[in-house]
Amino acid sequence: MRAATGAIKGEDNGEERDSLYPIAILLDELKNEDVALRLNSVKRLSTIALALGEERTRKELIPFLADSNDDEDEVLLAMAEELGRFVPYVGGPAYAHTLLAPLETLSSVEETVVREKAVESLAKVGAELPEESVVEHFTPLIKRLATGDWFTSRVSACGLLATAYRRAPAPLRAELRNLYRDLTHDDTPMVRRAAAANLSNFAEAVEPEYISKELTAIFHELTQDDQDSVRLLAVESCGPLARLLPREDAATHVLPVVQKFAVDKSWRVRYNVAQQLYQLCEALGPDLARAELVPSFLKLLRDGEAEVRVAAAGKVAAFCKLLGSDTVVSAVLPCVKDLAADGSQYVRTALAGVVMEMAPALGKAATIEHLLPVFLSLLKDDFPDVRLNIIAKLDQVNQVIGIDLLAQSLLPAIEELAEDKHWRVRLAIIEYIPLLASQLGADFFEEKLGPQCMKWLEDQVYSIREAATQNLQKLAAEFGPDWAKEHLVPQVLAMVGNPHYLYRMTVLVALAALAPAVSHDVLCHSMLPVVVSCAKDKVPNIKFNVAKMLERLVPLVDAAVAERAIRPCLLELADDPDTDVRFFAHQALAACDAVTAA
Amino acid sequence: MSDPNRWIEQLKRCEPLAERDVKTLCEKALEILVEESNVQRVDAPVTICGDIHGQFFDLMELFNVGGDCPQTNYLFMGDFVDRGFYSVETFLLLLALKVRYPDRITLIRGNHESRQITQVYGFYDECLRKYGSVNVWRYCTDIFDYLSLSALIDNRIFCVHGGLSPTISSLDQIRTIDRKQEVPHDGAMCDLLWSDPEDIKGWGLSPRGAGYLFGGDVCAHFNQTNRLELVCRAHQLVMEGYKSMFSDQLVTVWSAPNYCYRCGNVAAILELDEHLNKNFKVFEAAPQDVRGVPAKKAAPDYFL
Repeated sequence: MRAATGAIKGEDNGEERDSLYPIAILLDELKNEDVALRLNSVKRLSTIALALGEERTRKELIPFLADSNDDEDEVLLAMAEELGRFVPYVGGPAYAHTLLAPLETLSSVEETVVREKAVESLAKVGAELPEESVVEHFTPLIKRLATGDWFTSRVSACGLLATAYRRAPAPLRAELRNLYRDLTHDDTPMVRRAAAANLSNFAEAVEPEYISKELTAIFHELTQDDQDSVRLLAVESCGPLARLLPREDAATHVLPVVQKFAVDKSWRVRYNVAQQLYQLCEALGPDLARAELVPSFLKLLRDGEAEVRVAAAGKVAAFCKLLGSDTVVSAVLPCVKDLAADGSQYVRTALAGVVMEMAPALGKAATIEHLLPVFLSLLKDDFPDVRLNIIAKLDQVNQVIGIDLLAQSLLPAIEELAEDKHWRVRLAIIEYIPLLASQLGADFFEEKLGPQCMKWLEDQVYSIREAATQNLQKLAAEFGPDWAKEHLVPQVLAMVGNPHYLYRMTVLVALAALAPAVSHDVLCHSMLPVVVSCAKDKVPNIKFNVAKMLERLVPLVDAAVAERAIRPCLLELADDPDTDVRFFAHQALAACDAVTAA
Repeated sequence: MSDPNRWIEQLKRCEPLAERDVKTLCEKALEILVEESNVQRVDAPVTICGDIHGQFFDLMELFNVGGDCPQTNYLFMGDFVDRGFYSVETFLLLLALKVRYPDRITLIRGNHESRQITQVYGFYDECLRKYGSVNVWRYCTDIFDYLSLSALIDNRIFCVHGGLSPTISSLDQIRTIDRKQEVPHDGAMCDLLWSDPEDIKGWGLSPRGAGYLFGGDVCAHFNQTNRLELVCRAHQLVMEGYKSMFSDQLVTVWSAPNYCYRCGNVAAILELDEHLNKNFKVFEAAPQDVRGVPAKKAAPDYFL
């Protein structure tokens, strides 16, 4: 590469030399002793390539890169990534095969992250290759990798077969399938693992007839591998494979495997089955699923290992959608009740995340009878994530049983959760309040939840106080200015005497939030005087917030009121000894000027 | 939008600033910090915070609980960097807030705000990884030299990162230190950043190899001499977030929840209202769904 640098520097044309000078530096840095500099240069390979032009990139840069493969892993990783984007710089797909050589070397190195990135880039480049390059360059490359001495290259080959298969002509395809079968029989478990992990990926590229004829046999062998890590990965392809196969083939080839694995003695295997089961049901259709897979699923729901129950519990609602309401009540609900009292908090969290979604499948009566007790008990769970998951999905139950009933059974729980010690739970409840308000109506709401809404304004946690002010704004919008005048404004104004500056600040924010939703009269005669009086506060933070809030009030009042009540107050604040008070007062005055001028 | 406002917005998204912005930010910060006293005067109300250690998303959680700056006034008692994944974003955000609202936030120096310590405990490596050069580390460590050593709230509460020093009996002695240097290996400046309180009488040797252990009698005498009601410090992990000692003459405040992402502790801040009423607010680590994915999965060697 030195030669190339020299050549660029040696150009006679002075202007061109200047513009190429930064490139020459990057080229030099590719060989620098400092890793950071080499890395920087490699990350800008595309710039270098653009400057060199397509031909010199192919003839000089790429061969140079192919030779510099004994660098630090960090540099190699960056190089592997860059080369994946390099097709345009070497002259498009027709020349893309020139990129294969350096990437081939990188896909055989020892460091896994580099290899994986190289395979990813090879797949990218391979997808752009024209057919003749696939025959002439890409397939031979995969063959070399697949028969390499060192297992690293064989692992890489597993990840490339699908890409090559899609682009290869028919005769080559048979060879690629054989290659894949050989890899699944490799002596090294790492290679068989990679082959198993790529099974569904490869199956998607292969024609349906060969999936049934050849891949199902391979799948069967992999599921009987003596290494459980290989079996584990094979299980993961159950779902995708069943989806690709005709229904009857899936039933003969995949179903027995799944049923066997659902009672495997390794919990990791059972865990993977629990993850795959629903996908499989979709592929097999509801009839077969009900008949063949429900027993397995119920067993997994009662598995001895908590991790497996977590995975199964997370799928319970999806499963119920496949089954009729009767089956759910008789078979699944007893399990659900047990899971709600499970000893593992993670099982209960997973269940809480989906249990509400069972309501539509059950219908109103069954939901009230069976599901309501379950989620009321989860709402009182000791673990906050469980409570949060239930609250987040409340609306799904609304739709089934109606808000009245929900509110009746929920209100006691909500009153308790409103003071939950975990502030994110309180926050979730506040966010649910406006919906509840619209359903409950003004009177009932005021009686049950009104005082709590005020209490949140004095919460210990800032985010709750802030959410409480937004909640008031939404309530005022829901119930109208007259209601707000009577039930919100006086209560908020009464809090302005709080001895703690942060709570006085919340009052200011709450007033500004309510201002657009009350009558002009209330705004000018009740709220504005209080805000203005806070300008005399001795804490600067309150004073600059008065300025900020007045700025928000200016557009809401008559120009005369702005001139008479707001401007003098701001002028006084603009002379305050505190910089921040002066800054925000000036900013508000500018807004004032803009409004009066208009 | 002015530069500091733009920086604050960007850093709050946990996006590091460009190197040239860091340079400008540090230049502006220097102008402000150079004017501050070694015992920086602070007015109540103010919220006092302990070690943060690069736990950016937990700092956001702190602001969720305590309120945003400038609405709430803050005093951070050092150890902004090292150990966590986001020392760069954490320190630069606090520094940007300092530049934009110098009267609303006070930063004092911790023992980790040092060239030597940051080369061992992660800040140096993080700068190198995120910027590809050590320039940002240099700008930041140069600023460390200008951070004040302590703060005094309404003449009643003395705040310092570590603790007391046998060579210091009055606050005026702190005021005479020339602080614009790397943290020395011994002497008054080192002790203020390294010492720990302990249930002993008088002074003891510190197992840390720097600073001293000091007993309740030492603390009581110091408070009496300087007419203080409380020494407030950080520097030591407390599982409950805060801990009072010596008949409430001293308190430790720790603000890094689940320290090093594995200790399982809660964190605390101390909210002082305008009448110096104390209110400790305890908080937990930010939940997983509001955290970004750490830049690198593998735990580096310095990680415990």
